[in-house]
Amino acid sequence: MTGQPVAPKREGTVFDIGYQNYSGPREGRSRARISIVKNGVRTSLGFGRGALAKVLPWLFIAVLVFIAIIMALVAGAADRLIGPEDAEQLNLPSHSDFYGIASIIFFVFAAIGAPELLCPDRREGTINLYLVRPLTGTDYVFSRWLAFFLVMVAVAWLPQFILLIGLLMGDPRPLDYLRQNWLDIPQFLLAAVPLAAYTTTLALLAAAFTTRRAYAAVFLVGLFVITTPFTTGLASEIGGTAGRWISMFNLSNIPVHVNDVIFGEPSLITGPAPAAELSSWILVGWFFLWTLVPAGVLWQRYRRLTP
Amino acid sequence: MKAMLTALNLTKHYKDVVALDNVSFEISEGITGILGENGAGKSTAIKLFLGLIEPTSGSAKALGQDAHESIAVRARLGYVPEHDCLPGNITAAEFLGHMAEVSGLPPSHARTRAADTLRHVGLFEERYRSMGGYSTGMKQRVKLAQALVHDPTFVFLDEPTAGLDPGGREEMLELVRKTHREFGISILFSSHLMADVERACDRIIVLQSGRLVQSGEVTHFTKETETVFIEVDANRERLVTVLEQRGIVVATDGHGLYIEGPDESVYDQVRDALVEAEAPLRRMAPRRRALAELFQHDGEDFASELAP
Repeated sequence: MTGQPVAPKREGTVFDIGYQNYSGPREGRSRARISIVKNGVRTSLGFGRGALAKVLPWLFIAVLVFIAIIMALVAGAADRLIGPEDAEQLNLPSHSDFYGIASIIFFVFAAIGAPELLCPDRREGTINLYLVRPLTGTDYVFSRWLAFFLVMVAVAWLPQFILLIGLLMGDPRPLDYLRQNWLDIPQFLLAAVPLAAYTTTLALLAAAFTTRRAYAAVFLVGLFVITTPFTTGLASEIGGTAGRWISMFNLSNIPVHVNDVIFGEPSLITGPAPAAELSSWILVGWFFLWTLVPAGVLWQRYRRLTP
Repeated sequence: MKAMLTALNLTKHYKDVVALDNVSFEISEGITGILGENGAGKSTAIKLFLGLIEPTSGSAKALGQDAHESIAVRARLGYVPEHDCLPGNITAAEFLGHMAEVSGLPPSHARTRAADTLRHVGLFEERYRSMGGYSTGMKQRVKLAQALVHDPTFVFLDEPTAGLDPGGREEMLELVRKTHREFGISILFSSHLMADVERACDRIIVLQSGRLVQSGEVTHFTKETETVFIEVDANRERLVTVLEQRGIVVATDGHGLYIEGPDESVYDQVRDALVEAEAPLRRMAPRRRALAELFQHDGEDFASELAP
């Protein structure tokens, strides 16, 4: 009897090699900080979480992009309907106005998003696991701050780039437009920094005093919503120097005044505010005061935190 | 044996409250239980070793370093807190990977270690589920896993069996033993459940009101209280008499006879006494009193029994 040669049967074997000690690199405190920043960015944008966690951040981003698209469409339509020269006379909102127009969206985004980086860690006790690792409370809170700051900067830049593309596409001579307005690009890139720093710091400070994200968000949104009409009304009623200083307490305008200093012109939102008449140094100094003092309080809250 | 933790004249005051009072001890390789009532200073001692708080005086060194001055040593330490500490909305795999990175491991190594560690604690199949849906036992395993994911040299376990049912408790204790036996990681096991400490630990230290009242090998404490239990079918009183004639102290209860602290020669004497008393032997077995019996005798102060 003949038959086909039978190939030896190949069998796989699974070996349990047991526990293996780790002998790879240990990158210490710097890796710890980077990891917390990375985790903070992912948390802010809902990555690695359920669908529900993605809804809010991406809804706000979509609204900001939508505003930029509308602004670009209006500018493009004006160019085509009445011509570029006449359209320029209309002084339609552009890059210098965007942060002012969308400021309330940025504030609400920060008020809702930033507490997510601090509140759950304290409420669920995860902070205890961070603080027993090779990093300090200062490292932790600074890394969380940096994470949300980076998100805010990116969220601020994205609609500005979309607006830029829209304006370029809407212009009959895109290259000429770019030659004439190229300075807008570094200006809007730079102006996002104070906006992000201010909103991130205030939002995280509010979050540092509660374990409930909703409390921090409601407090912040309430603060912005109340101070804006209150200070606007009171400043115009009183007028003069006192009115200008009262106008400075319009919390949502503080970073937008810095935006105006960077662009060298008042925006649609802050232009009518009495505080806009104050010197640039005062406006920038006021911004630093409202950013650095809350940052100091935030740091103190976490500096000596122990499980 | 190499000292993993060293406390030297360690004192910690919280305003007027003395949490630890001039305590000195060394903890070497293996599993050491730290026993004490609430407020005895167990958690304070752990925080001092982890460098989370500063001592009022004295020193607390982990792996030869003061973790408060050099936080880098924490990369070699692990900690399982008593209370909940796990975020409910992310998966165990992602969480452990992140914790490994926070301990200093590069991302690719962190991911591998996370998967390996979850396999070792028996959660490999569940690693992509959100931790919010885990049972108490599974959460305790993740808590242990996060403490092991960076392959520490020493791990602090604070009440690791709290809230577990008997089955889960036994599994956790086995995991603790395995952590030392197979992974080579030394452990400080803080608990008020003496049965757990007795089953899991090689040594114990006992704190009371911030003071060290006892320390040593678990077997040392239990061996000192070893008894021989003897049960006979007949002639029990006669056997007692014969044993007492031979100078052996015998205690009796409704079931049988007890001879405390026997040495090897007692067994021969018992054999001879059984023959002399014509008492048919049903059972003879050595018994050790549990730590819980030692520490909680007659409801008295739990450490007083161990006063040297």
